[in-house]
Order: sequence, then C-alpha cells, then structure tokens
Amino acid sequence: MTGKLMSNRRRFLQSAIAFSSLSLTVGGGCGWKLADVRASSSTGGTSRDQLDIYTWTQYINPELLKTFTAQTGIKVVASFYDSNEVMLARLQAGGGGSYSIVYPSDYMVQKMVAKGLVTRLNHQRLVGLENLFPRFQNPTYDPDNSYSIPYSWGTTGLIYNSEILKNPPQDWEYLWQNKELLYKRMTLLNDVREVMGAALRMLGYSYNSKNEAEIKQAYEKLKELKGAIAAFETDAWRNQIVAGDLILAMCYSSDGVKISQENPKLKYVIPKSGSSLWTDTVVILQTAPNPEGAYSWLNFILQPEVAAKTSQVLTIATPNRAAYEQLPKKIQINTELFPPENLLQKCESIAPLGTTEEIYNRYWTELTSS
Amino acid sequence: MSIQIPRSQTSSPDESSVVSPRRYSLLDLLQPLLLLAPAGIWLLLLLVLPTLLIVELSLVPGIRPGDVVIPRGIDNYIRILDPLYLRVLGRSLFFAVSTTIICLLLGFPIAYWLAQMAPKRWQNLLLIAFVLPLWTSSLLRCYAWITILRPTGLLNTVLTSFGLPSLDVLNSTFAVIIGMTYSLLPYMVLILYASLEKLDRRLLEAAADLGAHPAQAFWKVTVPQTFTAIAVGSFLVFISGLGDFINPELLGGASSMTVARLIYNQFLGATQNWGFGSALSTILILAVSIAIALIIKFGGATPTR
Repeated sequence: MTGKLMSNRRRFLQSAIAFSSLSLTVGGGCGWKLADVRASSSTGGTSRDQLDIYTWTQYINPELLKTFTAQTGIKVVASFYDSNEVMLARLQAGGGGSYSIVYPSDYMVQKMVAKGLVTRLNHQRLVGLENLFPRFQNPTYDPDNSYSIPYSWGTTGLIYNSEILKNPPQDWEYLWQNKELLYKRMTLLNDVREVMGAALRMLGYSYNSKNEAEIKQAYEKLKELKGAIAAFETDAWRNQIVAGDLILAMCYSSDGVKISQENPKLKYVIPKSGSSLWTDTVVILQTAPNPEGAYSWLNFILQPEVAAKTSQVLTIATPNRAAYEQLPKKIQINTELFPPENLLQKCESIAPLGTTEEIYNRYWTELTSS
Repeated sequence: MSIQIPRSQTSSPDESSVVSPRRYSLLDLLQPLLLLAPAGIWLLLLLVLPTLLIVELSLVPGIRPGDVVIPRGIDNYIRILDPLYLRVLGRSLFFAVSTTIICLLLGFPIAYWLAQMAPKRWQNLLLIAFVLPLWTSSLLRCYAWITILRPTGLLNTVLTSFGLPSLDVLNSTFAVIIGMTYSLLPYMVLILYASLEKLDRRLLEAAADLGAHPAQAFWKVTVPQTFTAIAVGSFLVFISGLGDFINPELLGGASSMTVARLIYNQFLGATQNWGFGSALSTILILAVSIAIALIIKFGGATPTR
C-alpha cells in the first residue's frame, strides 16, 4: 500500500522534470533543449541482438563497435549525455528504459548504487577482471568492483598555450600569480566541485572538505580570481584555445591530452600540489532489457586488445594492465596520460558529500552571479 | 485611389446577431465540448496538471528525486528572498528589459521602413529575409555570435585592419544583450510590421495640413495607432527574454547566472534540490503570467489621443 503510494508520488516527480522544460518553453521560447533532449535516439531495444548504450559523447568509436558486432552479432545503439547529473536525471525521470549499459563516473556509481539503479555484477560471468591494475581492483567508490568495471581514468589539469606562456604553469597558484597576464583569457570548468576543489587543494585542504570555514576560504580565493576568468566552460574552450582566444583552460586530461597532441603549441599539465582523479566506469542498469548483451559488452571492453585500442583512439588512460603493456612505448611513458605514482598520491577522487553539497552550490551561485 | 471605410472599433457581433427562440438540444450543448475536447485535454494534461505539480513540489523544502511529496510550507519561497537569489532574478529582469527596449528602438524604424517606404515589390522578399534567421537553430545563431565577437573573431579582425583597437565583447553583459536582441528582433519587427502596414497615411496628411510638425504627427497619430502592436511586441520579447537560457549561458562569460540557469542547476546539478527549483519555476511562471495579463489588457485597449 505504502509502496504503491510511493510509486505514485515518484511518478509525480517524474512528470515534474518533464514539466520543467515546458515551463521554460512558456517562459523562454528557446533554450532548455540544449542539455535535455540530446540523449534520445532510443528505439525499443528489447530484442537480444540489440544493445542500447548510454554514454559520453567521446566514448564511442565506430571501429570498435564494428568489431563488437562482428564478434557477438549484437548491434549497438548509442545515446549520449554530457554530464553525470543529466544522465541520472534522465534515468530517474523514467527515460532510461531501453538502456542496458551506462558509463557513470566514480562518485556517480556510489549515488546510483545507493538509489538501487544498477545491478550487482556476477563476477563469474566476467573474463579478465584480474588484468586490472591493483589500484583498480578494489576502488573506494565501489569496493571489489561489485557494481562497476573501470573503463578509463584521468586527472583534471591545465592546458595552456606554450608560445605565450614562456614561464609555464606548474601549480594552481600560477593562476592567481598571473591573473593580469591571463585576464579574460582563461576558463575554468563549469563544475562546482572541480573548481571549488582546485581552490581547496591549493589552500592545502581536501577536494572533499566538509569544513564550512575551509569551503568559505576557497570561495574567497576564487572571488579574487573571478574578475580575470573569461567563463566557466567544460567544452566551449576547445575551439577558442586552438584559435588563440584563450591562453589557458582548466580541463579534463582526456580532452587536454588529445588537444595537445593535435596542437604542438598547447601543453597539458597536472598541477604539482595535486588535482582531482576521476574514473569512468561501466555498469549494467537494474532495468536492462538485454543483460546478456550487457555482459558480452563488459567482456568485450575487458579484452586487453580492445582496451589498448580504446586507450589509443580515445586518448584515455586505461585501468587495464594487460592493455597498458600492449601500448606503444611512446604512450606508456606519456606522463600526461599516465602520471608518475608520486603525483597520483597527491590527487583525490571527488566523493558525494550529501547535504554539504548545498553549501558548495550556494557559493557557486554566489561566484557566478557577482 | 479607392475610398476605404475606416476600421470601426465599435461594431460588435452581439448587436447584429438575432437570438433564435428555439430550445437547445443535447447536441447543441455537446458540440462545443466535443470541439474543445482535444485541445482541452491536451492543455489539461500537459499544462495545467504539470503546473499544479510544480506548485505542489515547490511547497516541499529540499525535496530530492525519490522523496515523498508532502507539502510543508513556503520555505522554498522564503529562500528566494535571499539577496543572492534576488540578484539572479534581477539580472534576468535586466537582460529581458534592456533587450525589449533595444528591440523596440531598432525594430520600429525597420518595421516602419518595410511597411511604408520600401518598394512594394520588394516588401515580401525583405520581410522573408528578415525572418530567415528564425529558421535556424537558436544555438547555431549563438555560435555565430561567438565567432564574430571572440577576441580573434570577425569583429576584431575588421577593427584592427582599420587600425582601431580591438574590443573584448565576448563573455560580457553586452554580448548577452547583442545575442538576445538578435534572436528576438524578428518577432518585434513582424508584429510592428503587421500593424504599420495598415497605418492610415491620410491621417498623417491631415495632421500635416492642420499644422502638426512631423514629430508631433508621429507621437500623436502613428504611435497611438500602433500602440497595441508596440505593447504586444514588447511583452513577447520580454517574456522570451526572461527565460532565455542559451544566450546568457554561451555569451555571458563567468558572471552570467540567470534564473533559467539557476533552475537548471536545481534539477540537473549535483544537489538536485527540486523543491527550490520548482519554487523558482513558479515565480518565473507567475512573472510571465503577469506579462500575459498585461498584454490582454493593453492588447485590447482602444488607442487614445
């Protein structure tokens, strides 16, 4: 009885998110669709020879899909999202029924497990888990990889134009010390926790600080820098730094390394005092219409050859040791992609903070509206 | 020149229609219901019901997806009174109002020229040319402005080639207003054009005959005749501007938090505070409703002299 009532209430909420776009259609004419509608190319997807995957835009490579279909006879239909939160909201709003596989980041795995959205993995059915690097065998966000398989990992850092910055940045402090030089020519990520976390780190605190005084101090520090920041961008900086409109951008290593390889004048650096360490994983949804196909997919991406190929074409660091060993020497020694152990020790994963996130959010609103 | 009968504001159908004495049958009563049903159900399911849900949600402080909805009070609305959020609302209002004023100042001469002075055979073509940008995605138009305004963009290339100093326009309030004005100007022009096209020029001639200065004639004859269109156009631009998401987001830079973005953050950000997001949405809906009520009021008003 209560269960029924709960589910009705939940449905109330589900229609609410659908409405939020309506309210803006009334109010705005344009706009909302930007982030919301991108993830919808799903067809029925209940048949056994089709696997619906919901993933990051840059994580699907046509060649790898072809190999998978050749090996298993399963056709892959991919839909895309551009933030963990958009993905979660879509699943919660009931729009994820056709997906079997999703690619949440570390902290999102924790949230999704807590909400009962993902299946506990049957390790008996997985081949090659032992190939993962030891530090990915038992990650803090998902002990024993009970629910998720690590797919890629990386850091957050700075990409800069080495032709203009002769004295290259080495640490977060550089931004504050050179804010006149970088005035309106730098962007930071459009992400509360990454930006606040970087400031916390610079002050010697944790990315996951729950201490209000520390969070406030980080905000004050960012406020000093604010005037010199052109924008908070997660994607739009790419064209602008290549064109020379920006000198420096805070970015994820997956983007930074790729772009610095394509443009020799651009260099990616991981700040000396440490940055955030992220892992993107693969999970099977509780509602997966094709769990068989989903396990085939997990086993496919665990194959060392496939993981090595993925690492090369997507310029991402692989958590798979057997795959790492197959990579060309040149990539293995690339410290932007595979930072040395002593630097990794200083990096932290961003973890969910419960209600403390409201404090972060408030400061973020304060920062972006002053 | 053919003589036209001036449009009459007073004739109403009630006076001319004769009420028949026959009694209404059941069908007569059902017919309008049947005709209205599709649109009515559509509105009820997709507009009225969700709006009520939003209002219900807005009354639950700090609700997150998965929580049970039990309306508990107006905490979410009290939270909006925080100077921080009022500032965000103020910025949205500022963007909307300034865009409206600029659209009116730019749109009126354009519409006047199109309706009254442009060669007749070009009129339609010019109008289409003006509305053409609306056929593209608003996102695309926004990216076009980024290309023009960015530091090494088209604008600065032109400026520096003339030996002028380059401008830092992208990522500023000014850029947002340029983008919004560009997006919304066609609506203003279309509405004003429709009204100015019907402008009775003989009244202007009469005004001149009676010794009115052209400026006087404009204020006392042209503006009152097109007042309805000015009001409707302005409110339309204002409403669209108030909830605009793309332009502030892409052109506004680091200080571009608007109410649309704030709502977005409540639903799709890390905190997922849907209750607060709903309260903000309700306020936005309320603001838009007031604007629409004003359109209805002024849209039907008789021009005064």
